[in-house]
Amino acid sequence: MKRLDRRIIMDRFFKYLVIVISLIALMPLFYIITSILVHGGSTVLKAGISFLYEPPPSPLSTNVGGIGPSLLGTILLMTITIIIGLPLAFFTAVLAVEYPNSIIAKFVGILTRSFIEIPTILIGVLVYTIMVLPMGRFSAIAGAIALALVSLPYMYTHIENALASIPWIYREAAYGLGLTKPKALFHIFMGIARRGIVAGILIGLAKASGETAPLLFTIGGSRHSYFQGLDKPIDAIPLLIYEFAQTPYNIYHEVAWGAALILLLIYLGVFATLRLLVKKVEL
Amino acid sequence: MIRNKVLGAAIIVFVVVATVLIIYGLGLVQGGSVESLNKMVHLRGSGATFLQPQLEAWVQEFMKEYGNIVIEYQGVGSGAGQEQFFKGLTDFCGSDPPLSHEKWLEYKGKVLQLPVILGAVVIVYNVPEIPKSVHLNLSGEVLALIYKGEIEYWDDPRIKELNPGLADKLPHEEIIVVHRSDASGTTQIFTTFLHKAAPEIWPIELVGKTIDWPVDKVGRGVGGKGNPGVTANVINTKYSIGYVELAYALKNNLTIAAIRNREGVFVLPSTETIQSAAKHALKTKLIPISPDGDFCKELDAIVYAPGKNSYPLTAFSHIFVWKTYEDKAKAEALKRFIEWIYTKGSKYIIEGYVAVPEEIKSIGLKAVELIEG
Repeated sequence: MKRLDRRIIMDRFFKYLVIVISLIALMPLFYIITSILVHGGSTVLKAGISFLYEPPPSPLSTNVGGIGPSLLGTILLMTITIIIGLPLAFFTAVLAVEYPNSIIAKFVGILTRSFIEIPTILIGVLVYTIMVLPMGRFSAIAGAIALALVSLPYMYTHIENALASIPWIYREAAYGLGLTKPKALFHIFMGIARRGIVAGILIGLAKASGETAPLLFTIGGSRHSYFQGLDKPIDAIPLLIYEFAQTPYNIYHEVAWGAALILLLIYLGVFATLRLLVKKVEL
Repeated sequence: MIRNKVLGAAIIVFVVVATVLIIYGLGLVQGGSVESLNKMVHLRGSGATFLQPQLEAWVQEFMKEYGNIVIEYQGVGSGAGQEQFFKGLTDFCGSDPPLSHEKWLEYKGKVLQLPVILGAVVIVYNVPEIPKSVHLNLSGEVLALIYKGEIEYWDDPRIKELNPGLADKLPHEEIIVVHRSDASGTTQIFTTFLHKAAPEIWPIELVGKTIDWPVDKVGRGVGGKGNPGVTANVINTKYSIGYVELAYALKNNLTIAAIRNREGVFVLPSTETIQSAAKHALKTKLIPISPDGDFCKELDAIVYAPGKNSYPLTAFSHIFVWKTYEDKAKAEALKRFIEWIYTKGSKYIIEGYVAVPEEIKSIGLKAVELIEG
């Protein structure tokens, strides 16, 4: 009887310990989200819906204005980044999983993963040198390419893991039916691995919406005009937050908080939509 | 099969939403009229972060008057701004320091430098014993000794000597010395001042954008990244001292020290004292009278400038433009903007910046005649 008590107590103790430690680990995240909600919320409430489409204010003005050009730029950058990055990540992952013994697959796999190690500012400088300088101007497309390079290894890793974790019996069943590799891939494997693929897309979108460094020397910024073309400069929310938070002016701090809230909402929105649309796989 | 379609649908939904937003944004900017977009002139500049809020204030007022001109400015730092300007990525550049002599020779006759605004570096401190109504007096020598680590305590006789009224209030506490940890024009101005005011204590080797601070070696030096970093360190550390741009001190209600100028007068930063430094700097003849001249001695002239009422830690910030632009419309738009800055711009000065005095305005306005398109 006594022994059992001890075991139950230990079990309870361990359970609560895990909960407490997890809470401590999550505290900074809660803190960040709460302060964004509080500060950003008050800005957005003050500015109203026009916060989404107005240009940012002058430091002299009392009107908060908005983040229209930056918001539009971030959405555009997210879209192009996924359009460029996802096929690259997906087919590299397929190559690595389906042809694991080919030299090119190994080489590409190592190369892609090693991109994680490169500081993102260097990727920005790389794109600046090979694209912005020859073109003679900053552009949305240069920013999207920099973001795609930054998010590529993350997307690749997720998709590769998802494809690699498909049980062998399903693979054998697919090939046993006489399906060709592409058919098996698109009709069977992608369905099974869809959650992992979605996780890959999500992390790609997160990188595309949140990274500042790759954009510093690529997109140029454009706060007074919305969209002039893919080959023209554009703005992005992280860039706006980065610049505005450094100034000593309250009105800029308010806009930066509001922008952080919008960024959080965009990401949560995309996250929730994709997760809801793609149901869990039951094997 | 169905699962694939769901995934496909998710992607399509995302792309559609994005596209709709893009079109919606396009509609907002053009307001349906395509021909007005064709006549629009876009000017692009980048450079000094110091200039960014003030330029933004000017640009927004200017654009109210000139609806067909759009000016974008990105605060990337003076160095990056110069590089982007000379590589042809931008139409103009914002820079705190003027061009070095070598750079100026390289682009002689092609580039124009316009001092557009004045700024000041202020000495801030956090000593609770000193009443808010009183400003601590400091001199170049004492500051140099503090940043060398040789003055250790707030109640040092050399500080007391400058502040007889505060002598009994200064605490026997160690001075925590805050400086910039990143390369900075603010550090350049501050160390130039220390060297000019106390050359024996602060040698020329310790002047520059990044300094190997002597006070760090005695363990009382603290680095802060950017003006916000130094400001936060001074606010959060009792008995600290630091140097920041004026706007950060004003906006964060930091206590500002009065600094002894060349004539031996303790002055606080204000529009009058900062402009006085600029006026007296002009009299030294180190500053050219035309924007196509060589401004490389300018900092030397304005820091620790003569004049009883001159604030010694004053500096210009500049806009660089080309003398010739291929695009006539761009040249014309820039001329209008420069003219506007020097005529109406002084009405829209934000806190922490000071308009250039009339004498400087007449130099800048010459650019309007010099620019060709």
